[in-house]
Amino acid sequence: MSDPIDDALWSAIGDPTRRRMVDLLLTDGGGTATRLSERLPVTRQAVAKHLGVLDRAGLVRATPAGRERRYEVDEAQLARAITQLTSVGAAWDGRLRRIKRIAESIQAQLAEKTD
Amino acid sequence: MEYGSIEREIRIEAAPEVVYQVITTPEHLRQWWPEEADLEPVPGATGTVSFGGGSKVVPLTVLEADPPRRFSFHWASDEASPVPLTVTFDLVPAGAGTLLRFTESGFREKGFEAAVLEEWYSDHVRGWDLFLPRLVAYVARLVSSR
Repeated sequence: MSDPIDDALWSAIGDPTRRRMVDLLLTDGGGTATRLSERLPVTRQAVAKHLGVLDRAGLVRATPAGRERRYEVDEAQLARAITQLTSVGAAWDGRLRRIKRIAESIQAQLAEKTD
Repeated sequence: MEYGSIEREIRIEAAPEVVYQVITTPEHLRQWWPEEADLEPVPGATGTVSFGGGSKVVPLTVLEADPPRRFSFHWASDEASPVPLTVTFDLVPAGAGTLLRFTESGFREKGFEAAVLEEWYSDHVRGWDLFLPRLVAYVARLVSSR
């Protein structure tokens, strides 16, 4: 892999609550810790902690919003993580498609011979 | 290192006997996977698959060879992972064709996260109309620029 993802990014996104938070931030186009805690079964403090982890991994960016901070997902960083995670599966998808093509062409040749 | 697995299912319009040949014999293997394959489809046999003009030679050990139903082997998929991964092909007759079930599992760097994230990603593929087109386009650009 030419572009290794650092551990902070992987463990940040490896937690289900944080993934749910990323989901909410994406669908809402951003939000504050207070707003997120209203929609999740965790305290505002816990949400703030999770946001800190996401922030350090570069997955969210914070901007001041009154007395709070407003968070948005860094799409480039999220896309980078997703590129990495799908690459292993994608390699096998390509191989399996080739297996299918080869087997089906052999089968077609066999069918011609017996006709 | 964490445990993770990739699972796939694909329908092939060819008899299990034909598919089995394609996944087990070196002459066919070369057409869908490595540049060179040195392998005998017999349980316990060791062989190699090579890539990049022989610059990368990966050892492989056959675990099960049960024509035309199952073929499985151990291999170390990348340099970063010295622990072998288990690849299993199960061939299930389906009408005149075959249902091929594929799994690759084992301990790998970030294996668990990769599996979970892949699921998360596919949920998004199913669920999001607004965000995903942008993300997919972005990922495509990243991949093509590598």
